Amino acid sequence: MTPPDLSTANGRDPSGSRPAPAGARDAVAFALRGMKKSFGPTHALRGVDLEVRAGTIHALVGGNGSGKSTLIKTMAGVEVADAGTIEVGGRAFDAREQTPARAGELGLQFVHQQSSVFPELTVAENLSLGRGFETGRAGRIKWRHVRRRAEAVLERFEIDVDPEVELASVGPATQVMVAIARGLQDQEDATSGVLVLDEPTASLPTHEVQLLLDALRRYAAAGQAILYVSHRLEEVVAVADCATVLRDGRVVAEVPRDELAQTRLTELIVGRPLAAAAAKMTSAPGGVVLTASGLARGNIDLELRAGEVVGIAGLLGSGRSQLLRQLFGLEPAHGEIRVDGHLVDLAEPGDAMRAGLAYVPDDRTARAVFADLSVTDNIAITVLASHVRGGRLRSRSEAGQARDLMRRFGVRAASERAPISTLSGGNQQKVILARWLQREPRVLLLDEPTQGVDIGARMEIHRLVRDTVAEGATALVVSSDFDELALLCDRVLALRNGAIVAELAGADVHEEAINDQVYAPE
Amino acid sequence: MLETRTTPDAGATAIDDVATRRRLDRREAVVRGLEAYALLGLLLVLVLFFAVFPETSDTFLTSANLQILVGNQAVLAIVALAALIPLVCNEFDLSVGPVAGLSSIFVASALSDGTPVVVAILIGIGIGAGVGLVNALLVTKAGINGVITTLGMATVITGVIVQRTGGVAVVSDIPASVTGFGTENFLGVPRVAYVLAVVAAGVYYLLAHTPFGRKLYALGSNPTAARLVGIRTNLMVGSTFVLAGTLAGAAGVLQVARAGGADPRVGDNFTLPALAAAFLSAAAVRPGRYNVGGALIAIFFIAVLNSGLNLAGAPQYLNSYVNGAALIVGVGMAAFLHRRRARA
Repeated sequence: MTPPDLSTANGRDPSGSRPAPAGARDAVAFALRGMKKSFGPTHALRGVDLEVRAGTIHALVGGNGSGKSTLIKTMAGVEVADAGTIEVGGRAFDAREQTPARAGELGLQFVHQQSSVFPELTVAENLSLGRGFETGRAGRIKWRHVRRRAEAVLERFEIDVDPEVELASVGPATQVMVAIARGLQDQEDATSGVLVLDEPTASLPTHEVQLLLDALRRYAAAGQAILYVSHRLEEVVAVADCATVLRDGRVVAEVPRDELAQTRLTELIVGRPLAAAAAKMTSAPGGVVLTASGLARGNIDLELRAGEVVGIAGLLGSGRSQLLRQLFGLEPAHGEIRVDGHLVDLAEPGDAMRAGLAYVPDDRTARAVFADLSVTDNIAITVLASHVRGGRLRSRSEAGQARDLMRRFGVRAASERAPISTLSGGNQQKVILARWLQREPRVLLLDEPTQGVDIGARMEIHRLVRDTVAEGATALVVSSDFDELALLCDRVLALRNGAIVAELAGADVHEEAINDQVYAPE
Repeated sequence: MLETRTTPDAGATAIDDVATRRRLDRREAVVRGLEAYALLGLLLVLVLFFAVFPETSDTFLTSANLQILVGNQAVLAIVALAALIPLVCNEFDLSVGPVAGLSSIFVASALSDGTPVVVAILIGIGIGAGVGLVNALLVTKAGINGVITTLGMATVITGVIVQRTGGVAVVSDIPASVTGFGTENFLGVPRVAYVLAVVAAGVYYLLAHTPFGRKLYALGSNPTAARLVGIRTNLMVGSTFVLAGTLAGAAGVLQVARAGGADPRVGDNFTLPALAAAFLSAAAVRPGRYNVGGALIAIFFIAVLNSGLNLAGAPQYLNSYVNGAALIVGVGMAAFLHRRRARA
């Protein structure tokens, strides 16, 4: 796999540095020293040092549970550190006294993945919510002022959008940029403060990612210090001036720009040389498991065979998620669906489950996890009837099965009784897979199966999917991460406007080819 | 089926020392245990207090007072269990009190008219189930918010009760077998308490030991995810309202036996303490989850507090303070404990 060369595509010398105002560039804008934090017996941070220089994009990478999120939370004052110092603009503060309010005063601006924007409000309203509206007599909002200021902010941050349109109507990257502009609009000059971006691209399609990364480069070139947290290593390699790698609550490496490479970062994150990717199908696929006609808006036909993993590549709105929802009985389909030759009527998820389908939705937190329930409850929910003996649900049988699955799937948790919310993202996702794979499904439907999951867990999840289809099942994977589709799938179908525009198989399944098909001009 | 390799990777939980871990585990288990039974402990402290407090020591711990206390709470406790079932899936049924009142009015007048006892009982339970079904359809089919639906229903029922009774209690010609059941003891325990025990055991079994209960808790935790694991969410929510109505109807029947008739105002007085107990249940036995044991402890906690205050000669309005505060504290504790479990 060759990583996409984002840097040259943007006319930037991959090894060089960008021009920046003299003097501002090397100043340390922000530093953390000796940050420590424990949760009970678990040491999340064991003395982390981090320096972010003005005018640079500093990447922070690490697996789930490496302490990355905890570090960001202690910076923001959302979690209270046990020890450490926070330095901003040369002044040092005790990290134990950090609060969200003081983080704001110090000019630390945080933009999260599901950034706190309001899609139903206009761009100008979203910008004003960050600082308050200009009001006239009797608390009336002076709309003309609001609009003028919004225009000035949008111009300064080079966001090409009408301040009067609803935020929902602009692209997702623009929404993130508006969130960034909202955070930074009041800073005096670009070198004050630090912009912290936590997985800003997790839900963005590739071309939108480009827009955002371009914007970040411009902000950095103007002298802004940016801390960039991401699982997407190709973006880190493309955009970062240096990367700090965390593992087990410690800094394991500080990688400068000219040494940034995906394989090196991955090995540092995982802490060992990379194992080979899950092997793809070696023999010809087996018999047909699923046939479906009239999917999406009525003009997609599918045929999935035993032993193969089929990918769906497409942009938001291409019909990719709709297709999975139809196959799982969540939306009406227009044609026929057959599983192992039997015509099935999928009016609701229960019908699909009985027909041998399993569905791992995207957005794990909102759509898959029962956060306050135990790992056992989360696993057993799809097979409750199998644990009933003599009219009574046997908790011991549920717990036994859960322990067994946790061992086989490599789920790390305090115990099977722990609430699933105490697990890391990767482990939660493995629990969700266990929930479905214990049913030994014929067809596994996966929507963004490794979103927000670290590289190690991602490979384990791929292997689990491969093992399942090797037993004679079939899998259909939707992912906006084309690198993942290329790694995992035997065939990839490119979708545009509710229709299949290309099918890639064998050696043609690689990231550039998928990109070409998905973004091909009409 | 699956061959998986477990590999120690970057996310490994850092535990320094097994002994420390075990010690902390044990300490945590003790803390959790204390928390789970704190309300029960508080109940016992309260009982002890009223047993030695000079104003109440003569009367509180007498078997007569305890029998009255338990007997009087049996009906309310069943109403609380009725409110508990929808609460597990985050639906509030504010009509449980008035439904019990409505049922008691119809049962009492049926009995006064000479209807056989068994038929009267079925009328009461049927009225409850019927109202529950209407609630269920309004919430799941018409998509009306459950709080609004049941609040509206409660108000309508109150009107029906006044229309039917003219505000006068129905007490004449209730068969002695019925009133006897409500006031007599068996083995020193009021007979109505046995009914409560059976109902509580049934609801406990339903919530804790059946797939239905497990799905209900899942639905309360995350409705979207519940739908995506094949749970028929509307059917579940609907059945909780029907169950709540049915139990409230049964509570109304028991109320006729206990009170020897039906008071048109009794239903309204049930709603608040019943909901308070249902919410407080999440603060006991299984912290963070609405549960039957917790609801019973909460009912008797509130009852002992009220009874003790009455015996001590405290003015009547203090009971309103107790019930209101219990509701707020209950909701607050439930929210806090739930947040703690679900913190991401």
